[in-house]
Amino acid sequence: MTASPTLRDELPRLAIEGVSVAYPNGHLALDNASFQLSGGTICALVGVNGSGKSTLFKSIMGFVKPKAGSVRINGLSVRAVLKQHLVAYVPQAEEVDWQFPVSVWDVAMMGRYGAMNFLRIPRVADKLKVEESLRRVSMWDFKDRQIGELSGGQKKRVFLARALAQGGRVILLDEPFTGVDVKTEEAIIALLRELRAAGCIILVSTHNLGSVPEFCDQVVLINRTVLAYGPTASVFTERNLTAAFGGVLRQFQFDQSTIQDHDGRTIRVLSDDERPLVFGKDGHLEYKDRGEHEELLKQRSEQHE
Amino acid sequence: MSEFIQSLLAPFQYDYMLRAIWVSALIGGTCGFLSSFITLKGWSLMGDALSHAVVPGVAVGYIVGVPFAHELVREYHRSAVTNLILGLPLVLGAFVAGLLAAGTMAFIKAKSRIREDATIGIVFTAYFALGLLLISLFPASVDLKVILLGNILGISDPDIWQVVVISAVTLLVVGLKWKDLMLFCFDPNQARTLGLPAGGLHVTLLALLAATAVAALQAVGACLVVAMLVTPGATAYLLTDRFGKMLWLSSGMGVATSLAGAYGSYYFNGATGGCIVTLQTLVFLAAFVLAPQHGILASKRRARLTRTVSTG
Repeated sequence: MTASPTLRDELPRLAIEGVSVAYPNGHLALDNASFQLSGGTICALVGVNGSGKSTLFKSIMGFVKPKAGSVRINGLSVRAVLKQHLVAYVPQAEEVDWQFPVSVWDVAMMGRYGAMNFLRIPRVADKLKVEESLRRVSMWDFKDRQIGELSGGQKKRVFLARALAQGGRVILLDEPFTGVDVKTEEAIIALLRELRAAGCIILVSTHNLGSVPEFCDQVVLINRTVLAYGPTASVFTERNLTAAFGGVLRQFQFDQSTIQDHDGRTIRVLSDDERPLVFGKDGHLEYKDRGEHEELLKQRSEQHE
Repeated sequence: MSEFIQSLLAPFQYDYMLRAIWVSALIGGTCGFLSSFITLKGWSLMGDALSHAVVPGVAVGYIVGVPFAHELVREYHRSAVTNLILGLPLVLGAFVAGLLAAGTMAFIKAKSRIREDATIGIVFTAYFALGLLLISLFPASVDLKVILLGNILGISDPDIWQVVVISAVTLLVVGLKWKDLMLFCFDPNQARTLGLPAGGLHVTLLALLAATAVAALQAVGACLVVAMLVTPGATAYLLTDRFGKMLWLSSGMGVATSLAGAYGSYYFNGATGGCIVTLQTLVFLAAFVLAPQHGILASKRRARLTRTVSTG
C-alpha cells in the first residue's frame, strides 16, 4: 500500500460544487448542481427522466468532464479517487450484456481487478473477498452459473456483490429495484443499511418514490440542477416533489376514501411512474371517481350473486 | 496403401506448401484469438470495415514504400532485419489507413445524426474505393488479385516476417491483458470506475484488429478477412459459457481450420482463402446445429422436455 493515508480508513465525503455538464450537441444536462454528503448515508437521487440523474452519476464516476464546477471526494479529484477504486457502480439491468460468457464468480471477481497485479491473477485475499461478498448477497450457491440464467433479483445481487468485492466507499446504484421481487428488494435494503452502518455513502437513483422514505435518510431532488437536498423528512415533502416533477407527477387524491369520516377521508398518493393500485379499509378498492362508478360496481356484484 | 500415404504427404514435399501451411496456421490462430473479443464487443462489422479500409494503405505501401525500402537495403545481404524493413511499408500503410478509417467513423458518428452502421458503410467503402483506384492507376506495383484474394502460396519472406511480428505482438498483448480487454468488452463502465484506461483499451483493441487484418490479408485476401476475425469467435460462443474456454476454442479452431484449409488447397489447386473460410463455415454450421447448450437441436430438445414436464 502507499504511504499516504488511504481513504478506505476514513469516512467518505462527497462534495459536488457548482457542477455543469454540457454534451457535445450543446445540450446542458446539469447546471450549477451542488450538494454535499458524508458517510454513512443512504441518499436517494430523485428526479424525472432527463433531469440529469445519470449525468450526475457519470460525473461522479469521471465519465464526463464538467465544464464548470468540481466533484471531490475527501478533497481529492475523481481521477485520484478512481485510482483507489473507491467508487463502485451497480448498473441498470438494461446496460448489461447478459449473454456474455461469464459466470457469477467472474463478475464478482471483476470488482477486484483494480486491486490485482498487472496480469489480474487473483490472490487468496481476492478469492476470499469474492466469496464473502457472494455469500453476503446469498449468491454463493450460484457462483458457477452463467449470468443470463439468473432471475432479475439474482442478477441485481451479483452486481451488488461486485461492488462489495471492490470495497467501494461511495456506491452508486442505478434503479436497483426495477425487475426485482419484493423479497430481494428487502434483502438489498438490509444490505444497504449494513453498508451505511459501515460508513459508506450510498447514492440511489430511483423512480420508486414510495420506497424512498423506507430506506433513505437523505434525499437529493434534481431537475437539471439540485432543487433541494437534506434529510428525507424535510426534503421529501409534497411541495418539493411537485416542484421537482412539475406536471409529470401523477397525483391521486381520494376525497372519499374508505377511511372514516372522522379521519378526514382523504389520502393522497404520489407516483411518477405507474398508476398505483390502492386498497383502503378492509381491502376495498380505492379510485378517484367514486360517484356513478360505485353504483355500477355495486350493480355488477349483485348481478353475479 | 503406401501410395495413398505418399499422396497424403505430397504437399509437405514442397517448400511453398509447408510455408503456406504454417503461416496460415499462425494467422488463423491469431485471428481466432482476437475474434472472441471482436464478436462479444459487437465489432464484427467493424472488422469487415477495417479489413477493407486498410487496402489504400497497402496500395500506397506497395507503390511508394516497397521500392523505397528496397533502395534502403539494396547494399545488404538478405537477413531477418532487411526482411523486416521490406515488410514494414505495407504494415505501416495498412495500419495508418485502418486507424484513420476508425477515426473517420468515430468523427462522423460524433458529429452527425447518422447511425453507426450507415457511418461504417460509408467510410469503409470510401477507403476501399480509394484503394482500388490507386491499384488501377499503378498496375505494375500492385496486383489487385493478391490484395482481394490473398496469396499465401506465393508469400514472400518480408511478408512472412510481417505476419510473424504482428502475430507475436497480438498474442503477447492479448495473452497478458485478456482480462482487462474482457472487462472492457463486457462492462466498460466498470473498467473506468476501477481506474483502468478504458480509452487505451479501446485503441489497443482497434489497433490489434487493424494489424491482424493486415496479416490475414496475406492469407485469405481483403474479402474474406472478416471471416477469420468473426467465425471462430462466433463458433466458440455457441460452444461455451466461459470466456477463458472461448479464447482457447476460437484460437484452436482458427489454427486447425487454417492448417487443414491450406493443406487441402493443394488438392484443389489454389484458392487457399476459399478453402480455409469454407472449412470455418462448416465447423460453425456443425456448432450451430449440434452445440450441447446453444445448438438448435439442444434448444429443440429443451423445448420438448419442458412441454412433457408441463403436460405430464
